[in-house]
Amino acid sequence: MISISSAHSPLLNSLLASLTNEDFTILSTHLEWVVMPLGTSLHGPGELIKFAYFPCTSIVSLHYITQSGASAETAGVGSEGIVGTSIFMGGESTLSSAMVHTGGYGYRLDRRTLQNAFEHSPTLQKVLLRYMQALMTQIVQTAACYRHHSVEQQLSGWLVATHDRMRQPDELVMTQELLANLLGVRRESITQAAGKLQALGHISYRRGHIRVNDVSGLRRCACECYNVVRKELLRLAPSK
Amino acid sequence: MAKVITLNRSKTIPTPRSVKSSIPATRYANHLLAALPEPDWLRLQPKLEAVVLPLGFVLFESGQSLSYAYFPTSAIVSLLYVMEDGASAEIAVVGNEGMVGISLFMGGDSTPSRAVVQSAGYGYRVRAATLKNELQLPGALMRLLMRYTQALLTQMAQTAVCNRHHSLDQQLCRWLLLSLDRLDGSDLTMTQELIANMLGVRREGVTEAALKLQKAGIIRYSRGHISVLDRPGLAALSCECYRVVKDEYDRLLPPALLHERPADV
Repeated sequence: MISISSAHSPLLNSLLASLTNEDFTILSTHLEWVVMPLGTSLHGPGELIKFAYFPCTSIVSLHYITQSGASAETAGVGSEGIVGTSIFMGGESTLSSAMVHTGGYGYRLDRRTLQNAFEHSPTLQKVLLRYMQALMTQIVQTAACYRHHSVEQQLSGWLVATHDRMRQPDELVMTQELLANLLGVRRESITQAAGKLQALGHISYRRGHIRVNDVSGLRRCACECYNVVRKELLRLAPSK
Repeated sequence: MAKVITLNRSKTIPTPRSVKSSIPATRYANHLLAALPEPDWLRLQPKLEAVVLPLGFVLFESGQSLSYAYFPTSAIVSLLYVMEDGASAEIAVVGNEGMVGISLFMGGDSTPSRAVVQSAGYGYRVRAATLKNELQLPGALMRLLMRYTQALLTQMAQTAVCNRHHSLDQQLCRWLLLSLDRLDGSDLTMTQELIANMLGVRREGVTEAALKLQKAGIIRYSRGHISVLDRPGLAALSCECYRVVKDEYDRLLPPALLHERPADV
């Protein structure tokens, strides 16, 4: 039986799947299928970004780290997106960090090829700029959410959004510690929130794993932020 | 035909009149315009319209298709997200360093956030279709706007992490600094209620935080007027978020030379 996680196809990433034949031809010889293990740091703040990543079965967290070492996720990137937007936006580096929070596979592309292709192709520009807006939507919503909503709501929303991004939704390999870092809260807050969600039957967890039992239940526990982002991501998604 | 726009359901503000100026648009009052190479500027200039941007004017609403992009000169615009229950949170600030309406060039045309004038002043606006046409032509405008977008996203992301981790006291300082950077001088006309809406907190919290700053001699606050007396002191009390974003803006968009700053427009 062929494991879906190792069968590679650019169709597994929506941005790549939506490219014109011309655009895809230019990129395809340089696209590398790579494993993206849980915990891998793809880039740190202020680093020259050497590769863009198009996740296929992996999911990446974009987050900021304060001077005191506290972190908070600003957006997630799965098969709907690309990590390394500053390559074509012109900044070459960014203040954010990118870390794989759900291991899997994806494509990576060297920055020169992406930069050149972007500069010369209006169709590629369109696709990637539209994705930038999807990214911006997430960041905006996250900022507002962190101001107003509870950890329980945020955890619920995060779990459903991650579940949405998984090709074959299964158990999430995820510790409460990592979740706490991602959401920028103390571990105890995650334990408490997760406990409530488990009591409601929406999730079940054991050491290092979380299973989503009731997606609609989780959606109800999430704040409106989850729906706003989901709607916008669908609206902005490229057509195949 | 007067259109009535509500700000947080507590104020009604009339639409701005557009001030058709016989003076051709001057580029130096907005950093993005100032950074355009001469040919790009000459193409854009006749299409820019000077406008008054009064306090509370909504440049675009959540989900509204944008008709114009705006380049503020002396006004400051707040990009807010407003929750279903009316609670708001400012995500970013745009003044003479930027442009309001980036979703026009990113292709989404609308966004879930709202843009509202938080400090009255002037700006230029350009029709959405005109901007899009201009961007089709090879030139510097696209590159400039992309860099600006990256700077803006940085501000938004920093706001997220600041909201998660920093105190109201720090956030008030940061917010005051952001506004000051976009104004001439050290005076702000701003009610505590407005600041509370921007920061997404209760008004009492702002009163308390402002009082602390006043006691420390950092600001003087009286009836909607804030004077910053000690700017370095303010910076010292702010979280790193102000500095971090400013440095990134300066890196992405090195400050253009401003030759002259006309008083209006």
